[in-house]
Amino acid sequence: MKLLKATTLALLLTTSCAFADTEITYQFWGSPQEVGVWNSVARAFETEHPGIKVKIEASDWDSYWEKLKVKVAGGTPPDVFAMDAPLYKDWQSRGVLLNLKPYLDKEPGILDGVYPLTLKAYETPDGFYGLPRDFQTIVLYYNKDMFDAAGVAYPNDGWTWEDFRIAAKKLTKDKDGDGKTDQWGFWEAGYDMEPFWGALVWSFGGEVVNPETHKTLISSPQAMAAFQFMSDMWLKDKSMPSEQQLRQYGADGFFAGISAMGVSGHWSVPEYSQVAFKWDIAPLPKGPAGRVTSANSAGFVIAKDSKHPNEAWEFVKYAFGEKGQTELAKIGLAIPVRKSIAERPAYLDQSTKIDHSLYIKALDYAHLKPVFKGYEEWSGAVGDALHMAWTGEMKITDALAEAVANGDEVLARSK
Amino acid sequence: MSALRPMGSERWWVWLFLLPTLLGLALGTFGSIFATIGLSFTNWDLLTPPQWAGVDNYADLPAGRMFTKAFWNTLAFSGLYVPLTVVLSLVVAIGLNRRIKGIGWFRVMYFLPAVCSPTATGLLWNWIYAPDNGVLNAAVTAVGVSPVSWLGPRMALYSIVVVNVWGAIGGGMIIFLAGLQAIPKEYFEVTRLDGATAWQRLRFVTLPALAPSLFFQTVLTTINAFQAFDYIYVLTSSGNGNSTMPTLVFSIYRSGFRFFRMGDAAAQAVVLTAMIFALTLVYFRLQKKWGEA
Repeated sequence: MKLLKATTLALLLTTSCAFADTEITYQFWGSPQEVGVWNSVARAFETEHPGIKVKIEASDWDSYWEKLKVKVAGGTPPDVFAMDAPLYKDWQSRGVLLNLKPYLDKEPGILDGVYPLTLKAYETPDGFYGLPRDFQTIVLYYNKDMFDAAGVAYPNDGWTWEDFRIAAKKLTKDKDGDGKTDQWGFWEAGYDMEPFWGALVWSFGGEVVNPETHKTLISSPQAMAAFQFMSDMWLKDKSMPSEQQLRQYGADGFFAGISAMGVSGHWSVPEYSQVAFKWDIAPLPKGPAGRVTSANSAGFVIAKDSKHPNEAWEFVKYAFGEKGQTELAKIGLAIPVRKSIAERPAYLDQSTKIDHSLYIKALDYAHLKPVFKGYEEWSGAVGDALHMAWTGEMKITDALAEAVANGDEVLARSK
Repeated sequence: MSALRPMGSERWWVWLFLLPTLLGLALGTFGSIFATIGLSFTNWDLLTPPQWAGVDNYADLPAGRMFTKAFWNTLAFSGLYVPLTVVLSLVVAIGLNRRIKGIGWFRVMYFLPAVCSPTATGLLWNWIYAPDNGVLNAAVTAVGVSPVSWLGPRMALYSIVVVNVWGAIGGGMIIFLAGLQAIPKEYFEVTRLDGATAWQRLRFVTLPALAPSLFFQTVLTTINAFQAFDYIYVLTSSGNGNSTMPTLVFSIYRSGFRFFRMGDAAAQAVVLTAMIFALTLVYFRLQKKWGEA
């Protein structure tokens, strides 16, 4: 009797295994709200693709990269995972991503209607090892209530960085009269080139790294002028809160309602939609070399060691396609990579009533945030040196010399 | 006594029950120590197989800006933190080792920081040290001194030491209190009858009797000093994973987990361990010397 039971059980187990669905995992950084939307994308995909099940897993930014490194190093990578474009080469160059060329070759026209700048980040001489999922451009956010109270005209298309600086000074105030500033014109953390200093350097006519990415170019006269501008706002005008001052109010000065202006991508919209004050957006001001913003994307990659690369590709194709992109636009954090979605109500009509097309128009004057091996370490080395200028420990010229030396050391090591 | 010794087949059982712990110790602790030492001689980016690098990772350390800054910060921090923590917790323990009204309450108050989450109390200290709305600057400006940037580059080291010492006094106090209460009362009575002063009682009775606790506490505090992280992170971390006062733990984490340089991180970890080990040896020597004297 016992034997019979055991055999039936074993039989049942094997048969159910034989007919089981193929399960693939998609892992990304993000919030519970994003998981909800992704789950509905996955369910819609499963209905169209019987036999494939998609497991959605999310974690916060820091733990995401830690987990991912451990999983990939341990030989059990998620089949599909999210990638931040600047970090893409760090993974691609180490041979852990699947080359999508054979799959893309079978799908002529799949890249049509995708914003070219977003594709550029993932293109390598031997093909795409990833595809953009959504993108970001940087715009100026301003607190209308603070502008009204100070009697300053709202930012407009014609603004230069000089206009911006003057307005920031007028918007810096000691509202309760205790002798300490409690409202600043502008806020920024100042480490990574995104969201602020990269665009500023470009619009002053400078460059960040050379195209071969073995030289850090942020100490050129043009770039120096941009950093001097930023340093003057911070240390001379004091129209930006210091790191210590900002810490008193939280991580985001605009959200905290202590800063009249801020620069950020579309990712801030859901958070800012909760604040009590009125706000709007404007294009970034123009510099001596015109108006430039910074564009960046998040992408999908498939692990080279995935046991189900074909199913993983089907899922990427779906999420990258019109149906997936339409659904993902609902998250409201980023901009769909397909023109047919981004330039239609799916993206343009969101609950937060601002001109969402501004982020798309920004592509016309956007530079791509650099994508190279060692980006995170380079950004850390440069940001550490700049930090000493923002705290006043070092003169900006000395800090830039150090930033270039440190940055070039990383670039040389990351070849 | 012999009843406690395992007999015959019981011995096997003892080993069997100890096995999980021993295996965990062998694989988990010693395994990872040896793996770290091994990795420190390789270049390993986590994603591709490690490559033999000889002593390169060690040779490159003195030139690494992130490492050298963290190294000196760690030394400066430990140099202040260890003596302050040991001395202050000893003083508090001696002060609380008496029968006065509400003594339990005092002990609880001193021990409280040790059981609070450093993240939560770190936030409280953030508010104390805040430049404009901070408690400390309100006090400082009230007496006519201009406000201080407590967590800025110039003062961060001292402000951080204060918080860490505050958090560690409770733990040290418990060790010393236990040591103090183990000293037979007769010693004090005899010395008192012989007319010894309070200082003489401390110098010739209390301190020698506390030598084992002092040794234990100093070693423990040194290890904690070199590994201090949570308060430093909450109070000084900057947006890009660095800190106004980065210590070796910051540098190790960033090199390994953020910058794909596990070999380099392993070398830094070995240097950190070697420093702790060397100091512990020095303490051993001192204890022996003291013990013999």
